[in-house]
Amino acid sequence: MSNDSVSAAGGDGEIGRVVIVGGGTAGWMAAAALSRFLDNGCRRIALIESDAIGTVGVGEATIPPIVGFNAMLDIDENAFLRATQGTIKLGIEFVNWSRIGDRYIHPFGFFGQDLHGIPFHQLWLRENGRGDPGYISEYCMSAVAAAGRKFGRPSQKARPPLSEMLYAFHFDASLYARFLRQRAERQGVTRHEGRIVKVHRDGETGDVTAVELEGGRRIEGDLFVDCSGFRALLIGEALGVGYEDWNHWLPVDRAIPVPTTNVAPPDPFTRATAHGAGWQWRIPLQHRTGNGHVYCSAFTSDEEAERVLMANLESEPFADPRVIRFTTGRRKESWSHNVVCMGLSSGFLEPLESTSIHLVQNGIQRLLALFPGKPISPLERDEYNRGMRDLYEDIRDFIILHYKATERDDTPFWRHVRDMPIPETLQRKIDLWKVHGRVFREGKELFGTVSWVAVMLGQNIWPDAYDPIADSLEEHKVAAAMAEMRERYRAAAAALPTQEEFLRAAGAWAASDVRPQPAAVR
Amino acid sequence: MDDGRGDGKIIGPLPGLSIELVESEAIGTVGVGEATIPQIVLFNAMLGLDEMEFMRETHATYKLGIEFVDWTRIGHRYIHPFGTHGIDMMGIEFRHHWLKGRQLGDTSELEEYSISAMAARSNRFMRPTPEQPRSPLARLAYAFQFDAGRYARFLRGYAEQRGVRRTEGRIVEVEQDPESGFVTALKLDNDQRVEGELFIDCSGFRALLIGQTLGVPFVDWSKWLPNDRAVAIPCTLGPDRKPITRSTARRCGWQWNIPLQHRVGNGHVYSSAHISDDEATEVLLANLEGEPLASPNQLRFTAGHRARAWEKNVVALGLAGGFLEPLESTSIHLVQSGIARLMSLFPTRAFTPCEIERYNRETLEEYVDIRDFLVLHYMATERDDSEYWNYCRNIEPPERLAEKLAMFRSSGRVFREHNELFTEASWEAVLVGQGIRAEGYHPVADMLPDDETLRRLASIRATIAQAVAQMPTQEQFLESNGGAIDPAMRMSV
Repeated sequence: MSNDSVSAAGGDGEIGRVVIVGGGTAGWMAAAALSRFLDNGCRRIALIESDAIGTVGVGEATIPPIVGFNAMLDIDENAFLRATQGTIKLGIEFVNWSRIGDRYIHPFGFFGQDLHGIPFHQLWLRENGRGDPGYISEYCMSAVAAAGRKFGRPSQKARPPLSEMLYAFHFDASLYARFLRQRAERQGVTRHEGRIVKVHRDGETGDVTAVELEGGRRIEGDLFVDCSGFRALLIGEALGVGYEDWNHWLPVDRAIPVPTTNVAPPDPFTRATAHGAGWQWRIPLQHRTGNGHVYCSAFTSDEEAERVLMANLESEPFADPRVIRFTTGRRKESWSHNVVCMGLSSGFLEPLESTSIHLVQNGIQRLLALFPGKPISPLERDEYNRGMRDLYEDIRDFIILHYKATERDDTPFWRHVRDMPIPETLQRKIDLWKVHGRVFREGKELFGTVSWVAVMLGQNIWPDAYDPIADSLEEHKVAAAMAEMRERYRAAAAALPTQEEFLRAAGAWAASDVRPQPAAVR
Repeated sequence: MDDGRGDGKIIGPLPGLSIELVESEAIGTVGVGEATIPQIVLFNAMLGLDEMEFMRETHATYKLGIEFVDWTRIGHRYIHPFGTHGIDMMGIEFRHHWLKGRQLGDTSELEEYSISAMAARSNRFMRPTPEQPRSPLARLAYAFQFDAGRYARFLRGYAEQRGVRRTEGRIVEVEQDPESGFVTALKLDNDQRVEGELFIDCSGFRALLIGQTLGVPFVDWSKWLPNDRAVAIPCTLGPDRKPITRSTARRCGWQWNIPLQHRVGNGHVYSSAHISDDEATEVLLANLEGEPLASPNQLRFTAGHRARAWEKNVVALGLAGGFLEPLESTSIHLVQSGIARLMSLFPTRAFTPCEIERYNRETLEEYVDIRDFLVLHYMATERDDSEYWNYCRNIEPPERLAEKLAMFRSSGRVFREHNELFTEASWEAVLVGQGIRAEGYHPVADMLPDDETLRRLASIRATIAQAVAQMPTQEQFLESNGGAIDPAMRMSV
């Protein structure tokens, strides 16, 4: 190679100092991942947080890519579950969404086996019009296991149907942050305690050069990761990057979380129950259950929302409810100048499909894939922003579907969301589905065919016809193949331990069985 | 796909659906010796074809990639292999570690990390072994090179056996519904009349239905891909029968070499603005490895595509839908993906517009993706030995290609857009092969100490070399698996 080639590390080409602003779940996820992959001895990573500032992270539910994130950080899954009071999640059960009394599961994993390239759900649609194939969820390993409160972790060598069981976790987000903090500090991240009072910028480029803490201490950096939450200290307050408001599509704007004691072994799934002006989550951890009411302030008051929440708890709450306010939408640019924002500073989508932590994780992985040199290439920054925008919009559309596709007309809220206009991208998906039940995954869209099929059917949007190509399969053979599949899932799930048995046997159960005292949970 | 648990006979023709194919023996076809890409393996599997029977019937050979000769500069060569290079390490793509190795003075070529390329170099072949995920053999990917005329005949037998009716005749009139403009029937020169509800236009460059009848315009891409002629000729087998397609750049175009079991297909693709037909034929004839087996066959074309591949009740496949030169062997793939798309969007009599729109959008994206990849080969060259190459080198790249180039140059990064046909591995093979230099690489590559990077690079090369040494030659593989043709059919001097 000739001398003019510039190596990635060394000289002017290197980002040597990374400063993470904020130490909630997002901040420590970023710190743990960046320090694992970027510390080559000459790169320094600092994280600034203030104990005086609380974090929003409540009990958190996740989606399957979290398994990959933990693996990437070389985290032992059982140790992680133990440290975070974590449980297994196999999907989300939706209650009262399409009609009061209806319920369905949006499971992780797959529906049945495709035959001759014809998607399984088309076979099911065809059978459903003639015989009795049962619910489509009876053909999904994760859904069948969830229904029986069972779980077994598929090994790398697992074969179908067990290998089809995809899973994620529920965990205590503040414990997760603490767990990641230990790792990050071990990997060389320096933690600075203090409240930021000033942001210094370069007079010419406008890049952030340093943040100043109370007492005058300055922390300089080449790249800043803004994990300061809703406040968006750097990306919003300092750089003035605007916020795109999606309230007209997703009008809920407040949440009241509250933990309760467990009255039964934890279920391996999240539940989302629709109420008159919003919905309520139920996230079972090992030591407690997280609950919260997400609602729309234009259609109900905080007092009424709290009353509804309290009336729908399975046991006693052991903390005072507090109201969290938010505006659904996204930061117009996730990366501006030398600031990348993650977590709540980059946007907010209600936790209906448990995507908050995934958005952080995806931002981190995208930043690693596009980790900049100096100067930062606008081309790479654009690529980052384009990817994040697509991800936010994909999730947005999928969440809107849950509201739009409803038959509920029992409250002004439901009448409003049922009749509201929706993004064209979503309309096209619904239209295509209605013709022949076809689902097309756009590009790297987060939610795949199974997710769309589960929610479309669950919300009672039925296609006018199934795919005509499915008629090329001989009916009695399809029926026989389907019966065999259904039995295989049933038998496989029956042989599994319950989730609690599994966690205990795997050494993933937290040491103490003592229910926490109210004071122990912040 | 079915995992094989069924007895394989679950699928049958759609009840009530009759399929009729109209062709005229008086009209020749364009198909010459054809090279393909790995998706063809899936297509054949979907049809339930026995691979060895297919190999014998079409006189096919295996293809592990394309070797590009004299493209970057005269005397240079590189392989664009199927499959991947090396293995990802530290969560980042192998390419970055290789780029780092180069900066540390390692001189190995990227293709030395591809099992497909290394097997092709030494004329070896076997099917991949996904059951041994740790072996490089699990990563081998392949396609076929076959006689397209024989392939068509083979598929004709398959189709007729399954109830497709073939009607001989030349189409003299196309009847349309006066209101909707939908095609309702074809009148043949022998007074037959063929009615239909869905018409698939495979009439070649002529585009009888989609173009002549429905007037869907052709979008001309010759400003990006100036080649507009080809002259093709088969010749006898030479000594070199590697399982690879070879593309050799010439002064005003390029020449293909596709070794089949019984003969070699050759052709010279060129720009008529830069060289005459006679000269182009001379260049071709001067560069054959065997004796010609026919007289040269001249073809004219324009690079581009039909503005809408599906209009009313007509779907255009093959040359009627568009043409992109065979530099990356995509012609048959375009037919195949058009069929797969039609299957996945098979219409009812309602011909729902949102489904047709979807078909057209996906088709166009695929054409654009392939176009961009082809243009890369021409503009990323150092050649300045002819007007032709001076022209090609200065082609203004389409926007997405320009972005890809800039991204790779600055930091060795390659991103695959949506469901793009060509993978990151293909892009890196051609970007590197055509001499585009990446100035940097992913900083995570520096987490490995320098000597560890070099050690791992050497170890991957050694593992691949070891695996290749254990593979049979392509001839041995075909012989022992029953895919070889009768030796008497081989044409060699």
